[in-house]
Amino acid sequence: MLQFIVRRIAISSVVLLMGSALMFFATINSGDPLADLRESNAENRDQLIAARRANMNLDQPWWQRYLTWLVGASKCLVLSCDLGTTRNGANVNTMIVNAAGASLRLVTLSVILAIVIGIALGVLSAIRQYSGFDYSITFLAFLFFSLPVFWAAVLLKDFGAIRFNNWIADPALSTTAMAVVALVFALLVASVLGGDIRRQALTFLVTGAAVFGAVFAFDQVGWWRRPALGLPLILVGALLALAFFLTLTVGLSQRKIVVAGLVTVAAGLVAYFVTAPIMADPSGWLVILGLLAATVVVSGAIGWFFGGFERKLSMFVTIGTGVAFGFLVFMDRLLRNWGAFLEIKPRPISTIGSGIPQFDDTFWAEIFDWGVQLILPTMVLTLVSIAGYSRYTRASMLETINQDYIRTARSKGLSDRVVYSKHALRNALIPITTIVAFDFASLLGGAVITETIFGWKGLGAVFRDGLNTVDPAPVMGYYLVAGGAAVIMNMLADIAYAFLDPRIRR
Amino acid sequence: MAVVAAGALVLAGCTSDPETTEDTTSAPAADETGDDTGEETGGDDGSATSDAAGGETGAEGDTAKADLGDVTPKDDVVTFSSGAEEYNAYNGVTADTNSTYNSVVNNQLFSGFWYWGTDGTIYPNEWFGSYEKTSDDPLTVEYTISDEAVWSDGTPVTANDYLLDWVSTNPESMGGAEALGFNPVGTTAQYVTEAPETEPGSKTFTVTYPEPYPDWELLISSALPSHVAAEQAGLEPDALAQAILDGDAETVATVAEFWNTGWLFPDYQISDESLVPSSGPYTLEGSTWESGQSLGLVPNESFFGPAPATANLTFRFVAPEAQVQALQNGDINVIEPQATVDTVTQLEGMSDTIGILKGDEMTWEHLDFNHGTGVFSNDEGGLAAREAFALCVPRQQIVQNLIQPINPEAEVLNLREKFNFMPDYQEVVDAAYDGRYDTADIEASKAKLEEAGLTAPVEVRIAYSAPNQRRTDQVAAIKSSCDEAGFNITDAADPKMFEPGGPLDTGDYEVALFAWAGSGQIASGAGIYQTDGPQNYGKYSNEEVDAAWDTLAASTDPAVHLEQTKIIEKLLWDDLFGIPVFAHPGVVGYDNTLENVRHNSTQTGVSWNAEQWVRAN
Repeated sequence: MLQFIVRRIAISSVVLLMGSALMFFATINSGDPLADLRESNAENRDQLIAARRANMNLDQPWWQRYLTWLVGASKCLVLSCDLGTTRNGANVNTMIVNAAGASLRLVTLSVILAIVIGIALGVLSAIRQYSGFDYSITFLAFLFFSLPVFWAAVLLKDFGAIRFNNWIADPALSTTAMAVVALVFALLVASVLGGDIRRQALTFLVTGAAVFGAVFAFDQVGWWRRPALGLPLILVGALLALAFFLTLTVGLSQRKIVVAGLVTVAAGLVAYFVTAPIMADPSGWLVILGLLAATVVVSGAIGWFFGGFERKLSMFVTIGTGVAFGFLVFMDRLLRNWGAFLEIKPRPISTIGSGIPQFDDTFWAEIFDWGVQLILPTMVLTLVSIAGYSRYTRASMLETINQDYIRTARSKGLSDRVVYSKHALRNALIPITTIVAFDFASLLGGAVITETIFGWKGLGAVFRDGLNTVDPAPVMGYYLVAGGAAVIMNMLADIAYAFLDPRIRR
Repeated sequence: MAVVAAGALVLAGCTSDPETTEDTTSAPAADETGDDTGEETGGDDGSATSDAAGGETGAEGDTAKADLGDVTPKDDVVTFSSGAEEYNAYNGVTADTNSTYNSVVNNQLFSGFWYWGTDGTIYPNEWFGSYEKTSDDPLTVEYTISDEAVWSDGTPVTANDYLLDWVSTNPESMGGAEALGFNPVGTTAQYVTEAPETEPGSKTFTVTYPEPYPDWELLISSALPSHVAAEQAGLEPDALAQAILDGDAETVATVAEFWNTGWLFPDYQISDESLVPSSGPYTLEGSTWESGQSLGLVPNESFFGPAPATANLTFRFVAPEAQVQALQNGDINVIEPQATVDTVTQLEGMSDTIGILKGDEMTWEHLDFNHGTGVFSNDEGGLAAREAFALCVPRQQIVQNLIQPINPEAEVLNLREKFNFMPDYQEVVDAAYDGRYDTADIEASKAKLEEAGLTAPVEVRIAYSAPNQRRTDQVAAIKSSCDEAGFNITDAADPKMFEPGGPLDTGDYEVALFAWAGSGQIASGAGIYQTDGPQNYGKYSNEEVDAAWDTLAASTDPAVHLEQTKIIEKLLWDDLFGIPVFAHPGVVGYDNTLENVRHNSTQTGVSWNAEQWVRAN
């Protein structure tokens, strides 16, 4: 295995190196770095041109300029990069660090969401192949996949920021709006759950009524400006999480594990009251992480204690349920601070930027400050990449479902749940790994339009500006990060592959 | 029922504690000023103001800054964006840093002897100091800095700063760029060859021009703090000034490196605030700078001029395509977007909270003939052919269809050296041009073409820098009109228009369509219209024009300037050097609760009076 990894690293480095030479050569030949000065009417034009020539080493042959860059960049190996300066003297190191930070914040959440939602939709539409749900997902996937990003972003800003901000100032929902929301939910749930017509109609009615009731209640109590989950909703959520993890593992067949899960929920209930003073205004993320660790330990212990001979599975279920409970409590606290945040920022969602400059308030308000700014760009990026994931997953899942071993499993009398979750899903996910790895790398450097429209100075902007001014230093800095990420992520995917499939290791 | 009951139970705990106050102030409905401020457009003075009453901003038609009286900075934030490029230099007069995105910020950090009014008039800042021309031969100007004028670190603003300002343009008398090593964008030392006469630390200095220079007023306004540069080079402030006066190039050169690089922010943060004192209404000391996002200036506590109206002026670095929505959402309060029909429509669609100002910019579009070669040169079609072309160009229609949708008050531009919104425009037009080319006259054009002895169709390539939609539209309009008269117009758009070897350089065109950005200078047009001038791309030559420019450039008397301008404009019309078409339209969008937002035609742009912007209560 080690040999395999070393070989991969060696090959990747050669690829990066050759790519960098090509990139450098292409960049400096992409235009005239003196174009703006040639058009200039400045009286000291010749002096300006001479200064820029000296600044950018324009008098040297391309390989010499490349080597200069390479020597600086190779210092990255000993962790003291020198990526040079732009043509007007800005330090590329700082530029890249800032930009990569912004890009990472922008991309990480959307990648995670796209993976989770995309795979879930793909699996569901494969299981319900040729149902209404499948057709709708297919339709939407193609719609989103072909969305022009700039147009979607502008629309989202109009509805998600400007109109939302107008609405949140005095929020009220019309009966029609509530009915539409209820209808959409009802259709969705009914088509996912499936069954015969009678069952679907029943699901539809029940869901529709429940959602309508909930939205109506939210509207009546002024939930939009002072929301919270409250203990009852947290409990319902935790029980749903328990049901989800049970479905993924053993179902209701193992009493012990069900009991373990319920005990975890009960423990969470106790913890909810115990930690309330800490959660009112935690001093920082360390506190939250500490609580998370405590949750994992306690719920793990419960699983271990009740697990009997299936300790591993039991611990998986209890830890999952415990973390879900904790997450809901966290969200409850966060929501409770929404009203306070609205006081500070009456129009909460900005169309640009990453938050109020130098914002300094409570822990929760600070989360809102950067959190709400992530919503719109994340939605754009997620919508675009969900489409791909759901299609790939659907195809891969369908292929797996039609394999002989699935038929064998079915004929053994295993339930649908076990067949899909234990035999089909894992095998279907193997090809997805590659796509996920590659997608993350390309999103990191490829969110140029999203960055521009939402006013983030990310890697895309650095690359574009560098290219526009025919300035190799920022372009190469971008290449180093984006190319490096692509190579590393692909390598990780390969290694993961090798673990999953021993045949590749040779 | 059970479902409803269970649902009610589940939702029972779902709201957080009530807010302390019911917050309604955020509603955008609070606009008593309403639509009447919304769509005001500039009158003949080229300015428009956001103050509906007009009372506070002084007399109607005033192009200077309003006198706001005694102002206490209001504890509030006003946000402006000039584009996505980030501020990166306190010294915005080096060759590398001279750009709009630096100057919009630096304008608030430095004050000087004068500023541009909305129509390009020069107004003195009386609280900063005064200047007076004391002699015409040789041209001598005496500057006096107010005793009150101090940098925010307490050091007085003195002649030392102006000595550094002068020497940083590498005067030849001290060995030029080679000996001194400054990297300036300014050219003061070309006109002022010897150091200003003064004493180190003095509040007055005298500048002498060996040759008459009509634009002397523009050369000197604000300066960088010389005491900071001197200290960084290990000199006493007065010692540096003395070295400049003594012509000691070696000592002065030690400052050059700091001057070139020490006042730049390559990391987009201010590492040492003591290096960047302010002499303007706002300061960087205590400012908040989030790289890639915004820069928030704070008031300069020791400012000696009128205090800023709002305590925090924040510049956001936002790409043009995101600005209009950001304005609508209140993320930015003032923008000056690309003036297109789309932008104007978009802004007008949200006019209940957003005000719009429309006006002319000091950039003007023109069609220039190639006098050197081709059908319009005197060797071929000559004046008659040029007249034929001028007669078929539908100038009125171009302005109506392309410019008036943006600025309804836009007019055809009939001069080259004056703009429609300038006070003496009409006087010069009366002397120079009789209105014969205002609208297209196809029949007259045909006759002229015959007179020129050219056989239709006459091939005419109109070259412009591609891509440019508005110019494509103009060429299409000209084609549909002029083709009737016997021309065959070709759209010769070229991305390499201005490059060496491009059409303008090689003379590979009949008509060039482009714009000049007016700098407000009086004598700068000489390079365009004089024989063999550096920007005389069309190889135009007329001895009378050359002589008139020489007379103009040799005088500092405004009356002479006006008289010679009339002569030049008349000759250029009679000869048909080219055809001016229109001044570019400008648009400003702003949060209509703000007062004192005013359009400015000069290159300073709308932020020229940003220190006066304030939210009405």
